[in-house]
Amino acid sequence: MTEKLAILHPEIALFITTCVVMIVGLSRSVGARRASAWITAAGTLTALGLALRSPEGFGLLPGMLAYAKAMIAGVGFLLLLVMAGAVDRGYEARLLRGETFDPIRATRGEFYAFFLFSLMGVMLCAGADDLIWLFLALELVSLPTYIMVAISSSRLRAQEAAVKYFFLGAMGAATFLYGFALLYGAAGTTSLSGIATTFAASGIGPLAYAGLILSILGVCFKIAAVPMHFYTADVYEGAATPVSAYLAFAPKTAGFLALMLIVSTVGWHDGGLPEPVRVTLWVIAALTMTVGNVLATLQTSVKRILAYSSVAHSGYMLVGLIAGPGDGGVFQNGLAAILFYLLCYGVMNVGAFAALTCIERGQNPDDPNDLETLDDLKGLCATRPLVGWAMVLSVLSLLGMPVLLGFFAKLLLFSSGIAAGEIVLVVVLGLNSAIAAFYYLRIISSAMFETPDARRDGGRLTPMRGRVLACVVSGAAVLVLPLLFGPLQRASSRAVSTGQSAAIGERPGGTQAASPEAGR
Amino acid sequence: MDAIATILPTFLAAEPAGAHAPGAQVGSGPPWAILIPLLPLLASALCGVCAMLRVKSKAPAFIVVAMLGASFLATAAVWLQGGGPGPMAGASVAHGWDWIQFAWGDGPGQALIANFSLYLDSLTLLWMLFVTGLATLIALYASEYMSHDVGQGYNRFFAYFALFVFAMSCLVMGDNLLMLFLGWEGVGLCSYLLIGYFYKKPSAVAAAKKAFIVNRIGDLGLVLGVFTTFVTFGTIEYAPLFEMVGAGVDGSGHALHGSWQATWIPIFFMIGAFGKSAQLPLYVWLPDAMEGPTPVSALIHAATMVTAGVYLIARMYPIFLLDDAHTALTIVAWTGALTALLAATIGMAQFDIKRIMAYSTVSQLGYMFAGLGVLTTTGAAFHVFTHAFFKATLFLCCGAVMHGFAGQLDLRKLSGVAFMKGWGVVGVAMLVGCLNLAGFPFTAGYFSKDMILAETFVTPGSVIGGASMVGWILLLTAGLTAYYTFRVFFRVFVGPQMYEPGEEHGHAPHRHDHGPGHPPGHGEHDLADARDQAQKDEPGGAHPHGHDFHPHAPGLAINAVLAILAVASVLAALTYFIHKPDHGWVGAMVHHSTAHFGGLDAHHGDEAAHASHGSFLGLDPHKAMYYVSAVIGMVGIFVAWLLHYRGRTGAAVAPADRLLGALGPIPRWAQQKWFVDELYDFVIVKPLWALSNVFHVIDKLIVDGLVNLAGLTPRGLGAGLRPSQNGLLHSYAAGMAGGIVFILLVVWAVS
Repeated sequence: MTEKLAILHPEIALFITTCVVMIVGLSRSVGARRASAWITAAGTLTALGLALRSPEGFGLLPGMLAYAKAMIAGVGFLLLLVMAGAVDRGYEARLLRGETFDPIRATRGEFYAFFLFSLMGVMLCAGADDLIWLFLALELVSLPTYIMVAISSSRLRAQEAAVKYFFLGAMGAATFLYGFALLYGAAGTTSLSGIATTFAASGIGPLAYAGLILSILGVCFKIAAVPMHFYTADVYEGAATPVSAYLAFAPKTAGFLALMLIVSTVGWHDGGLPEPVRVTLWVIAALTMTVGNVLATLQTSVKRILAYSSVAHSGYMLVGLIAGPGDGGVFQNGLAAILFYLLCYGVMNVGAFAALTCIERGQNPDDPNDLETLDDLKGLCATRPLVGWAMVLSVLSLLGMPVLLGFFAKLLLFSSGIAAGEIVLVVVLGLNSAIAAFYYLRIISSAMFETPDARRDGGRLTPMRGRVLACVVSGAAVLVLPLLFGPLQRASSRAVSTGQSAAIGERPGGTQAASPEAGR
Repeated sequence: MDAIATILPTFLAAEPAGAHAPGAQVGSGPPWAILIPLLPLLASALCGVCAMLRVKSKAPAFIVVAMLGASFLATAAVWLQGGGPGPMAGASVAHGWDWIQFAWGDGPGQALIANFSLYLDSLTLLWMLFVTGLATLIALYASEYMSHDVGQGYNRFFAYFALFVFAMSCLVMGDNLLMLFLGWEGVGLCSYLLIGYFYKKPSAVAAAKKAFIVNRIGDLGLVLGVFTTFVTFGTIEYAPLFEMVGAGVDGSGHALHGSWQATWIPIFFMIGAFGKSAQLPLYVWLPDAMEGPTPVSALIHAATMVTAGVYLIARMYPIFLLDDAHTALTIVAWTGALTALLAATIGMAQFDIKRIMAYSTVSQLGYMFAGLGVLTTTGAAFHVFTHAFFKATLFLCCGAVMHGFAGQLDLRKLSGVAFMKGWGVVGVAMLVGCLNLAGFPFTAGYFSKDMILAETFVTPGSVIGGASMVGWILLLTAGLTAYYTFRVFFRVFVGPQMYEPGEEHGHAPHRHDHGPGHPPGHGEHDLADARDQAQKDEPGGAHPHGHDFHPHAPGLAINAVLAILAVASVLAALTYFIHKPDHGWVGAMVHHSTAHFGGLDAHHGDEAAHASHGSFLGLDPHKAMYYVSAVIGMVGIFVAWLLHYRGRTGAAVAPADRLLGALGPIPRWAQQKWFVDELYDFVIVKPLWALSNVFHVIDKLIVDGLVNLAGLTPRGLGAGLRPSQNGLLHSYAAGMAGGIVFILLVVWAVS
């Protein structure tokens, strides 16, 4: 029992932190309430440490736990830096001016608790080997985020966004729940490995296909893929920017982990995925990339641009899912590419969103009026060099500029797609990367080359220095992590190595370096 | 990396370093050797932090000196551990971390592996010892030299400086050609940044651009060389590469002798080396590079970076020897000799002492290339080694003069500096440097130059075409070198004491009229500036010092560094007498590296081979050259004494001027650098300019039109999709439902 619990150590750490934070957040003492952010940070870091020591799990992708959970906790920590202090700023300020504390009105502790719950859900997805577990984990990711959106800002449009997000999320959940039910009906078990065994033994019937496709489509809501993408821009724009950053990472990660597990049940055999599943994913991938990118080109709000680009990035990653683990070679492994991409996307995404939160122009602490439109960004590199350049680096990386992190991430997707023979899809991917350059470069040119409007309030640096730190750390990571490309990529490959391809983690051509004769 | 691996065992689980060490012949080196490049990188980053914190003290200088010193000690430790103070036996690879590992198959040539690893052998260590050692000393010197910039560019200067050392160590120590390329471009970048250090000065910016662009031409060669190497051998890692080259086969086992690769790979590398090491026709950037601060000129553009080309050829020497016709090496030898001669003739006619030193650098690099070309890697490496010390000394002396006399570098405006109060150390150091450069008997420069000269006559013309002709050119150049070197010494450092200060902040010579009013006792200085107006590159301005300029003698840091370097220049000669059978310590180091294949070994293998030596007028070149070059050097010095010292009463005039009439326009042409820059401008720059205008029109009309058309497509598509994003909950829900149905239909239709 205790051994089985070992795979849940990070989640347990998060859970304990959640309980503490909920209580501490209601304390009358300002110091205690402020401490809740630090406690959350400590809990996240503890989870990160425990995640690195995760043992092999069980199920279809047992090696994934350490990498996935460490990534979730690591990026989660960066996101926490952005989010810390975002909620209840106005209320806390009024308390300092002498208003009496009313626990009913304080939401700060809850906010951190919801964040931790959601993060816990993402981690649980990585370890799932049962449809019910997977469903609960996915909902544990999403339910807190609905509330986080609502309480993130006092603006009305945050409430509107939360309502939309909730109802459409419910529809998405219903879709994959229906899919799960059909899968259970077809395979007679809720265990993912059990389903895989059944499929391998007795083939995949129409009922099973219907279940698979509905599950995939439902989970597409989490990753903001077409046709479940409609909410994305409205919700990201409505929520406070730190929460938008969170939405772009956590549900997407959970969704991709879930998709990898669901699709693993049918497996990538000699000819790749079974045709219906492949077609589903292919159409979704191509549409998602294209729709995300073309809609992004029309936006003037940076948050909406990043929202649609988040849609597009999901489309890119789906290419890895179609490619699958390949024959185990590092550059053929699409699943490893997804895991690596999620990490990279998490980092550069935090950089871009955090930069937006670093400058405030409003006087109302509940509505800081941070950077939103391309016009707001004008001259950022000149007025706030640190934030501006971190943003430029992150966006260049999102664009996939060589040498930066995003390039290596995309490279792996391309190579896995080519190895799997999905040439057409890879061409679509390439075309979309080119379209993406259009709107990313608009962000960069605003920040680097244009001069700010004289009439416009230049704003001031946010008092919450965690945001600046997160922004700078992400910007630097985009530059520095490529140096660790080899080890990180090997870690992601090892994470998805299964029994059939145990050699995935091996060094490519290692024998050649070890003995030159082998090269002849 | 290993430290991280212990912290994150499950996550990264880097294999132990040993697992990556290639082959049986190449062992694994100490992993901490990676500190040698990383310490300067850290220093650079810390200087960046200093810049961000707007540090207004000399802290960055001390950080850099300390880190570079530590890097030097690490180099020495690697060397001592590996077999020092003698040469190291064989090579080893110190694995830093995995960097690039692409594989697209299991066959040969289907993986690109370039790790951040260091190739440690004697050649590497020879280079790194003087690179890190000199860098430490010059950083110390710069801490005083750059003191006028404290709080402004000081942080930036030292950040670049340390970054340069990092890049140089990547270049020299990398265990694969990609790391060499990284370092190669890195030193190019740092060179660009440092030449353009005074970025408000148009001439500095122009010089920086020129250096960068001219180097790109060479880099094209290098890149082609790396590509062809990879295509031919299927690897760019030295260890397997040299093993294949040693066996004379390519990656798939075919013999290489007589193949096109055996001819062309060396030529590609050679072009790269010509760019970086300022050889004909790509030497034009180096004299202009003197716009950078003098410590930079000393370190980068005299002692270390410009020898990267020599290093490249020495490192790749086995590949150069694959070609039985020695095409590349013959070109190298001839280019080296012609460059040496051309640069020396230009150097003879210049008036700016730093520029003279720059041309002498080009000229001496020519010697090194000639040495490589006539199969004496030992001679080339030995000359690199001695040259590094004495040329650094010379540049730093010039820098001290420039620093003390407010940027004055014109040899017609300074005289007798060595006898002024506080300038003794500079004078002595300059004398030591000049003697070395002139090849005065028993100096280090004398021995190293001799070795190259002798070998040009030893190497038979059947192996390297016209080797003895190369020797004659180099002998002539040796005389010219002695002359122009001592021209500087006799004009500036001895003779009657007088001076005229330069522009205060100018770091290149600005020649202006200053009018009378200098302290009495300094003689007359109504110097004729008419001639100078021709080379004046900036408009005049009021002289900031007015009437009471006092040269400030160098302080402790500059004097200490000069003293150390002067002593080192002298002591470098002693290394010739250690390991005598290998032609000195440097020879021993070279013999135990990949550069040992050719040259002396091939020809000194046995007595029979010895007998087939070429000869110098019927004498054994090795013995004869000791006397011949000594005599030539002293004749050059004597001529300089005759023309520039004897009977000279002022700074501006010298007995040499009487000869000017007899020589006609030749000195003026030489001073104008034989109009090479103008030639390049006319032949290359102008046509390119015209062509680019044509392309500009094409670009505007056709390409932009197509691009705009292509750009409209996604926007139009987006505009079509836009109505779907109307913000209404129920329409979104309908869209989702419709999408689900659509996909189910597609799947149903397809399967």
